[in-house]
Amino acid sequence: MDILRGKKKQIDRLPAFNSVGTYTADCMKAFDAYWPEAHRNPVKMAKLGAALHRLAGLESVVVPFGLTVEAEVFGAPVNFFEDSVKWPSVKKFIAKEASDLKVPSRVDDVRQLGRVPVVCEAIRILKREFEAEVPVIAYLCCPFESIGSFLVDSADFLKRCISEPEAIHEFMRVTTPYYAEIANSFKEAGADIITLREEAVSLNNIHPKHFDSLVKPYLKKLVKEVKPPRILHSCGQLWSPNLEVISKLTECGAEALTIEESTPMEKAAEIVSKAELTHALGGNISAYSVIHQGPKEKIQKSVELAIAKGSDMPMPGCDFWLETPTEHVRTFVEAVKDLSADLG
Amino acid sequence: MGNDFIQSLTEAVVNYEVEDAVSAAKRALEAGVDPVAAIEEGLAKGVRIVGDKFGAEEIFLPELMVAVEAMKQAMTILKPAINKSSRVEKSLGRVMIGTIEGDIHDIGKSMVGAMLTVAGFEVVDLGTDVSVERFIAKVKEVEPDIVGMSALMTTTMLRMKDVIEGLRKEGLREKVKVVIGGVPTSSEWAKEIGADGHGWNAMEAVKVAKRLLHQPEERS
Ligand SMILES: [Zn+2]
Repeated sequence: MDILRGKKKQIDRLPAFNSVGTYTADCMKAFDAYWPEAHRNPVKMAKLGAALHRLAGLESVVVPFGLTVEAEVFGAPVNFFEDSVKWPSVKKFIAKEASDLKVPSRVDDVRQLGRVPVVCEAIRILKREFEAEVPVIAYLCCPFESIGSFLVDSADFLKRCISEPEAIHEFMRVTTPYYAEIANSFKEAGADIITLREEAVSLNNIHPKHFDSLVKPYLKKLVKEVKPPRILHSCGQLWSPNLEVISKLTECGAEALTIEESTPMEKAAEIVSKAELTHALGGNISAYSVIHQGPKEKIQKSVELAIAKGSDMPMPGCDFWLETPTEHVRTFVEAVKDLSADLG
Repeated sequence: MGNDFIQSLTEAVVNYEVEDAVSAAKRALEAGVDPVAAIEEGLAKGVRIVGDKFGAEEIFLPELMVAVEAMKQAMTILKPAINKSSRVEKSLGRVMIGTIEGDIHDIGKSMVGAMLTVAGFEVVDLGTDVSVERFIAKVKEVEPDIVGMSALMTTTMLRMKDVIEGLRKEGLREKVKVVIGGVPTSSEWAKEIGADGHGWNAMEAVKVAKRLLHQPEERS
């Protein structure tokens, strides 16, 4: 927590955690908390969210899983793939225009909608149990990702960033206060940290100038309205020799930023070190090719490299890979503890 | 004179103007411009320019997709006007793509389709959560040269094998090349399940598709 307040010098070692998804198939089995039930049952959600803390000593408990909680609030028919373990998706895209969204008349009505009460209850359970032990983290899928992946046909959404930017603005403008309200309801339920996942703003998706015009004003507003501390997370390649979007992400106001392996850590660290508002950087160990695949030595080496290149929170680039062996997570946790112990 | 009409088709694609591309196509036909020239020298040229800009990081996925859309819409006007005797430079081939299950973040999934279109392939995108049965039924219907599938979990990777076996049972396996992709897949896995190629990302998928259709190699 001190890292998020910009007090890296006052801590003994770095945290061994992940601020995005911490569910794995092994955990579902170990705690009988399988998807899709664990998406809808708060007790099972809490069990799965805490599983890697219990089994591997991971220093965070995190809910929910998947990125559809927010879209469901606006009327997306979520496909949970009954009887199979798959990331929830939507059965169809419900919106062409912002006016097609089911936007509740009062902002705080979202607290009662979809799975928001389930996530809040899971947070309360986790808070009671882990209050003094590890941070309870809840993540929010932010508007650009949430709308563009689960409410509007993704290809259409991207095309309209060019052909009809006013439509994108309208989606973002109308919904942003509701996303903030959902995050704050998680906060009030007891979440110590909110992770804001705006996953699709990398160079793989849009030009940084479109991040500036279409995403940043709303993300800034969202960050401002959500109670701190806040960790902003984005996937994909955020830096290239010609262009970067990292500095723009730091201007959104979150205390920390986490990135994945497509973005070079040393370049990100250089940019974040100059940032005014964001003072901690996390990532960017590959959740698949390092932590999932191992072996042990590779995990240790990657943690060491991430720290050496400037990661304040050496952690997986994104959610743990679903099929990651628990043993590999344990190796990761121990490596962070050992390798950062003499930093103080 | 035809040059102006052809030029305006190129411009519509390069400027990401779908409606302009459609009206330019209509005007070209009315003026008696050869539709084959309109496609090859007008639209295809525009898409090539856009593809180069994409490679140079001047533009990104949305611009690329709108340019491809402008080309497709104008093609629907121009194609029916093509005289049967005139020769159209064939597309590089028809590629059908689909994902076996969705990713946690879905927004960039149209990448492979757009890249293949820009490279000159005809693309049929089945989207995400495509079942084994649907892959096979669609191969019959669409008759692609290449089927591309991607998966994200080792459990769903097994379904790629089911698709290949299904194609074999239906007597379709020899008619299509099969390319697989997705983070957990590898060329070893492609070999094991009897696929023809493996492309980890959009750029590689284009290379593999070109190699399979235009520089035939023996099947492994
Ligand atoms: Zn991510």
